[in-house]
Amino acid sequence: MQFIMPSAGKWIAIALSLLLGVGALVLRARISQLEHTDEGYRAAKKKRNLLMMAGVLLLWLCSGLILSSFGLGEREFTVSISPARMDLFGLSVSSTVFVSWIVIAALTLITAIIRIFVIPRFQETPRGIQLVLETAVGAINDLAKEKYGQKNEGLASYFFALAALFIGSAIVELFGVRPPTTDLSMTFTYALVTFVLINVYGIRKKGVTGRLQSFVKPNAIIAPFKLLSDLAIPISLACRLFGNMLGGMVVIELVYYALGAYSVGMPAVLGLYFNAFHPLIQFFIFINLSLTFIGEAVEEQMA
Amino acid sequence: MTDIGLIAIGAGLAVLTGAGAGLGMGIATGKAVEAVARQPEANGKINALLLLGLALTESTAIYGFVTALVMIFTMGK
Repeated sequence: MQFIMPSAGKWIAIALSLLLGVGALVLRARISQLEHTDEGYRAAKKKRNLLMMAGVLLLWLCSGLILSSFGLGEREFTVSISPARMDLFGLSVSSTVFVSWIVIAALTLITAIIRIFVIPRFQETPRGIQLVLETAVGAINDLAKEKYGQKNEGLASYFFALAALFIGSAIVELFGVRPPTTDLSMTFTYALVTFVLINVYGIRKKGVTGRLQSFVKPNAIIAPFKLLSDLAIPISLACRLFGNMLGGMVVIELVYYALGAYSVGMPAVLGLYFNAFHPLIQFFIFINLSLTFIGEAVEEQMA
Repeated sequence: MTDIGLIAIGAGLAVLTGAGAGLGMGIATGKAVEAVARQPEANGKINALLLLGLALTESTAIYGFVTALVMIFTMGK
């Protein structure tokens, strides 16, 4: 269990970061504010912002001093390409696999709750959670339709589930746990699923001979290159996602390591990019490319 | 020179792929800005294409990075 849990110093840093944010908000509320129409409104606003910044800086310095006085700042830089293994009832399981099980269990619970409590109460005009769900489902349906050429519920639902799993693993990273997407075995698994889907849809649409003929379409000389580029698809998909996620994790770990006891609040600014925006873009790219390749396999080529 | 030094030089050479990826991404983004400036109404489509192209361009840099990581973490032992 101690392998998947982040160190005590990191937990305290994350908790203190939250406290820092709340403190900044409280500080902002405490400073009296002039009315919008009053004389000197701009000056007061500037002063208020300056005071807030100074307060945040002071809180940050204090938290760093407190942490370093307790000796919680020392961290060793331990990033490995393969995640730590843990013992689960006599089975040697990689920690990221265990984390992904937790994510899958949480997602199953959430979907069950939505199915039981939210979906029966759907109305004609969507509001709140219904609006979010309908927008998300509609977006992925449109993407699948655009890439595949016609409506395909199976592909859309598979990629929706994949997106939910990826986003869940990105949220896990915000708690300081190593996310499953930084494990080559997970990304390669989903890339292999994409490879199987490409061939299944290609063969279902064109037949075995048609699928084989697509390799020699313009010219027979090009066949080995086409075969090679088809075989490279899962490797390139897996390595792209894995490299991006691991790169982001290494940068964040380096920041934690370099700041030591003062890593309160600061990594959150970087984390907004490396833990929130960047993974979302990469997941979108993974799903988009998978759908593009599947659409390429099924499309009727001009003779 | 020690083995780890040679591995470090090799890993450094491997991440030089980032230079090419940076060039390519810069050119692609510049062209996208030109396209949006010429036809602002095609903003959405250009954006989607640009994102896909950037991801494909970026993957060369990522392959170099993964190669470097594999060199450091597996060859050093």
